[in-house]
Amino acid sequence: MKLLSLSMHNFMPYKGENTIVFPEDEIRNVMIVFGDNMRGKTSLLNALRWVFYGKALGRHLREIPLHELLNKEAAMESDFVIEAAVVFEAEGHRYELRRRALKRPMVAFPSRPEDFQVSVGLQKDGMALPGHVVESEINRFAPEQVSRFFLFDGELLQEYESLLIEGSEQGRRIKEAIEQVLGVPTLINGRDEAETLLKQFRRHQQRDLSHVVGLERQAEKQAEFQRRQESLENDLAMLREKLNQTKSERSSLDDELEKVDSIHRAKTRLDHLRRRQSEIDKRLGAISVDKQLTLRSAWKDLLQPKLAARKEELYAEQTKMTALLAEKSALESKRDDLQQMLNEDTCPTCGRPAEESKRYEAGKLLGEVEAKLRRISVDYVSLGEVNARIREIDRLAGVGAASRIRALDEERARLDVELTKIENDAESLSDQIKGVDTAEIARKRVLRDSLLQEEARLERDVDDRTREIDKVKRELAIIAKSLDDLPQARAKRSSAMVKVCMAVEKLFEESIERLRKKLKAEVAAKASEAFAHLTTQKSYSGLEINDNYGLTILDENGARVTVRSAGAEQIVALSLIDGLARTGRAAGPVVMDTPFGRLDLRHRDNILRYLPTTTGQLVLLVHDGEIRRESDLAPLASRIGAAYEIKEVSPRHSRIERVHS
Amino acid sequence: MNDLMSGNEPTMIGVSERTHPLLKRLKDDGHFSEMADAYRFGVALALAHGVQPDEIVGTRQTVFSVATIDPDREIATAVNAILGDDGSSIYRRVERLAEWGIRELARHAEDGEIDFASLLSAAARLVEDGDL
Repeated sequence: MKLLSLSMHNFMPYKGENTIVFPEDEIRNVMIVFGDNMRGKTSLLNALRWVFYGKALGRHLREIPLHELLNKEAAMESDFVIEAAVVFEAEGHRYELRRRALKRPMVAFPSRPEDFQVSVGLQKDGMALPGHVVESEINRFAPEQVSRFFLFDGELLQEYESLLIEGSEQGRRIKEAIEQVLGVPTLINGRDEAETLLKQFRRHQQRDLSHVVGLERQAEKQAEFQRRQESLENDLAMLREKLNQTKSERSSLDDELEKVDSIHRAKTRLDHLRRRQSEIDKRLGAISVDKQLTLRSAWKDLLQPKLAARKEELYAEQTKMTALLAEKSALESKRDDLQQMLNEDTCPTCGRPAEESKRYEAGKLLGEVEAKLRRISVDYVSLGEVNARIREIDRLAGVGAASRIRALDEERARLDVELTKIENDAESLSDQIKGVDTAEIARKRVLRDSLLQEEARLERDVDDRTREIDKVKRELAIIAKSLDDLPQARAKRSSAMVKVCMAVEKLFEESIERLRKKLKAEVAAKASEAFAHLTTQKSYSGLEINDNYGLTILDENGARVTVRSAGAEQIVALSLIDGLARTGRAAGPVVMDTPFGRLDLRHRDNILRYLPTTTGQLVLLVHDGEIRRESDLAPLASRIGAAYEIKEVSPRHSRIERVHS
Repeated sequence: MNDLMSGNEPTMIGVSERTHPLLKRLKDDGHFSEMADAYRFGVALALAHGVQPDEIVGTRQTVFSVATIDPDREIATAVNAILGDDGSSIYRRVERLAEWGIRELARHAEDGEIDFASLLSAAARLVEDGDL
């Protein structure tokens, strides 16, 4: 299959008529479409999806309602026609597929999908085909189940990582989608039909055996297990439906919450600021009280310098008085000694009789000492007063208020600055959330969290039921084996049919496993081949596939690389897509939207070199952040057959223009 | 017997009628938790600045009992220690010092905030610089 052209009319941002022509050359088979975010790259992918399958997908693979596909400006100008047409070649024929949605005549302004009437037309070599063959004809070349591999959204790469989680529900669904592409369902359907027949013949067998004496209990036991199996299967189907419903509700809430995420963050921040504001207010109050309490005794600190000076004076006075007192005491002692010597006529030191000359000297000295003592006057009252004043001043000790008050002032200044900033931020945040029902956002967040929990619970329940069904099936197989050993049971036709159905079911089961094994080996080999081209780490030896088609990198020794980067995840996922696409169908066109998100330059170069060699046509929808036109396209220059750019006319109007051929 | 012990000391003290609203304002504006705290601080500020205050002009408004303002006679002790005994009533001198100090505090409060830490540091510098 080869795409030739795509035309759109009023499709999403593409107002009026816009056409792109795909490269037809086998070598120059790459088309690049540049477009900034929000300009219409994914809408281009959706135009192809819509024209082929009648649906456009938004975030989380949810279908975009038909009325939202109409260009908003066109709607304002009362142009209510949406149309997309694709021209392609397949098996030597030229096809033109056209899908058109027209406002119903009685509707004034379409606001629901039902307000449109949709028509599809397919021409083969210029001849219109009847309506009922359109879908089957499309499915021959581009089955919808395969579309996720050739109409490829880079955002979905992350989904493939869940394949590595054994037993995850999301992994199971992707595995089903993968097997759909690879053709496994044909055998699965066969097995399911054999199983339905088996149940039916088991019921016949139970009826037959219930009339045979001695086998009633066996029949009853088998019937009980079968009822149990059916009940568990119904339960499982309901749980799966409930799980899908819950997931869908949760992802819808996720989308809504993502849109108001900035509001939620603003509200959370505002609440935090308000709490901090209240803390600061409390602390400022405490600082004020603390400061006032400190000031209560601070007056003493003011006086300390003066009091210290005064105390110095008093100490000097005290020292002077004390020195005089000491001098007086020494003189009095001396006077007493001299007097004793003169009275006793002996030397007070050695006790020998004093000489006359010595007595004379002592008398003279005693006179001098008495004269000095007469001159010394000690005021004991004043000394007492000085001492008392020193003690009083000591009572007026300072409290160190200055440093405490300075510390409190500094803290208050710091908090004042913070408070001003908080008030400004809070004002701006309040403006941001003004008019928004934040209570509704909070309600949805709680609801989303509860749905997430419910999802986890449902997934556990699904696992439990699956295990229980397997157990019941094993029990039924044991009963069937024991019945087969009994001639009365074996003689019944219904028993023979049960045996046949069991054999057929087993045959399908084994065939499914063999096909899966073969396909997995093929996918692993092709994905490994792609990986070898795409990875920059040449020491990796390849990829290992698990039951879910999840791929693990193997190092040079064949050991699993358990920790890998986001870029490596993307390369592995791209390798899987390439492996699946090449296993499931012949090489055809591949349209990739924003595929380089998490990749570095070298990986990107590898992809640009490799993918054109494995696809019939490669259409890359990229933004400037992914590819720099001037430098990054060099390795691809010889393969680019066409380049387009999506240009903004207005926020609701884009135009696509050819820029290179 | 000094003035502290004399029977000539007043039992009630205050400020002039002109200064009383300023004292009240110091409390109301949150600079001090009580008027008595502002009063004591005013007295100490005047002492620290070596102020020789004039007699209070105009009508005197009594605000506190001496026992409230100076229960342990610490203020009287400080006045006596710093200014010495000039034979006059200590608490009349305290009133005059408070009059000056409160007016000074009110002047600082005109900017909205009183920088108490600076006032306290400045008192130390006044002595170091030998200004007094």
